[in-house]
Amino acid sequence: MQRLRSSILKYVGVRVPLRVVSFQAEGRSALNILNLQIRTCSNSGATNQDQIKEQVLNLVKKFDKIDATKVTESADFQKDLSLDSLDRVELVMAFEQEFSIEIPDEEADKLKCCADVAQYIISGAEKKAQECS
Amino acid sequence: MSGITSASFLARRAAQRERVRILYRRALRDTLNWAVHRHLFYPDADALRERFEANRKVEDIETIDRLIADGEASYNKWRHPDPYIVPWAPGGSKFNRNPVPPEGIEIVYDYGKEEAELV
Repeated sequence: MQRLRSSILKYVGVRVPLRVVSFQAEGRSALNILNLQIRTCSNSGATNQDQIKEQVLNLVKKFDKIDATKVTESADFQKDLSLDSLDRVELVMAFEQEFSIEIPDEEADKLKCCADVAQYIISGAEKKAQECS
Repeated sequence: MSGITSASFLARRAAQRERVRILYRRALRDTLNWAVHRHLFYPDADALRERFEANRKVEDIETIDRLIADGEASYNKWRHPDPYIVPWAPGGSKFNRNPVPPEGIEIVYDYGKEEAELV
């Protein structure tokens, strides 16, 4: 029993530094993708940013004050989708809930279209990954 | 002269718009503390929105200032004394709490000493 335990621990002890090395070799992206995967529960790393964009677009389409046919990646919330400032507050709240993040007031003001939001969420996830590592 | 006054008027309007936006955001978040479940939250959020919409058409700048002050006072009065925290999030009631392991399972608390045994 003791032998088994120590051999497992030895195995793990060897494995952990190896994995760290491999991550560093591939640069930051591997870690970021890993982090995003955990957040979005997806299983393919390469299309992750597209998935976030997709998720944002679907969320915006579901918002009941928006005409779903008009929603595109670069459609301005205020001009093209005719939302007022309070609607935008509601939308930002919806994003916060969906992606379980916190968007500060100043940042919320800058988010003008779906692409901005997706970019903000992706960069936020990357920042978190860097803090963790 | 009129240029200056209209500029200051616009600046004041922009500041008011900002205040309303922040007030609405805070109030909406606070609604989430009072009504934790979604089916309770939606009617409350709609009621809050209606309170804001009621004064949408107000044009007089002094009246707007008064209304915003009223709104902020009302928000401060009705702010939730004990905001909701998801139980397993930091500060939540389940945070860092783990169930006792079942009978027959032993935890060996000698982290870091395993390496020494190998030698």
